[in-house]
Amino acid sequence: MSDNKHRVSRRQFLNYTLTGVGGFMAAGMLMPMVRFALDPVLKGEAGGEMVAVAQVKDITTEPKRFDFKVKVKDAWYESEEPRSAWVYKDDKGEIVALSPVCKHLGCTVNWNGDKEHPNQFFCPCHYGRYEKDGTNVPGTPPIHPLDRYELKVKDGTLYLGKAKPRGEA
Amino acid sequence: MKWTVKDVEVYLQEKEYVDTAVIPLIPLTLEKNVKSIVSMGEFVQIIVNELERQFKGRVFLFPPFTYFTSENMEEKTKRIADWTDELIANGMKHIFYVTSDTEWKAGEANLPGTLLWLPSIPLEHMDEKYKQQIVTDQTSQLMNLLIAKWS
Repeated sequence: MSDNKHRVSRRQFLNYTLTGVGGFMAAGMLMPMVRFALDPVLKGEAGGEMVAVAQVKDITTEPKRFDFKVKVKDAWYESEEPRSAWVYKDDKGEIVALSPVCKHLGCTVNWNGDKEHPNQFFCPCHYGRYEKDGTNVPGTPPIHPLDRYELKVKDGTLYLGKAKPRGEA
Repeated sequence: MKWTVKDVEVYLQEKEYVDTAVIPLIPLTLEKNVKSIVSMGEFVQIIVNELERQFKGRVFLFPPFTYFTSENMEEKTKRIADWTDELIANGMKHIFYVTSDTEWKAGEANLPGTLLWLPSIPLEHMDEKYKQQIVTDQTSQLMNLLIAKWS
């Protein structure tokens, strides 16, 4: 009977508890270290910060404006900023998403905004114009083509990333 | 552009392209109707910020012109006229005041610039999507007024 009661000896019991507590303490110290070491990898996965903007079935060959919001962090102040994109399918059926920010001084351009120059993007501020693919029309104030958004399509939804100067996106 | 160092740097380089100043007129009070007064100011701020985003390259959005509701009309009109003179002397050609305060509507004729008055819409309990729609609509109306004035 006494055998039964003392199957775990005092020495064993102390051994177990010490190993257990020691293990927890070691884990407590190592976990943050591992977390820090892995952090860049985890960030990379979530990175890109693509935002769902539109359904692919809504996109036509005519540029259409889609509004969306992105999270912006300015020092400690986090806010949501509105963004817009002109989205259409080109002749090859590929989706193009242009930033509406005029490369001259940053106004928002409109599709078909000027009746005298149809099928162009038009900036109402200083009458800058761009072709459908975003190329600036020579002789108008802008000297660069419109930026293009990085994009990806997943399950019929269009996701947009950062706007980049043409050639980089 | 906004009243920030980054935007002002652009302004200094491209002065000749920036000929329009937008000044929100924001009433202040701490009396009983404080909530509706605050709501007016908030709405106007949202609208002018969106307007600035659309017309960044030509419109300079100034910090709001604030006044207590108890300030009499003559004083206010004189102060805003001083602001306007100062801006015109520094090369601004078009001055727009944006407000929801009906008092200005009554004294519109005495103002040296263009008053854009819009009814305040309480946005605080509104659905996000609906809210965006209203702001876009209101802003595009203002944009048309500005474009008409420019051409």
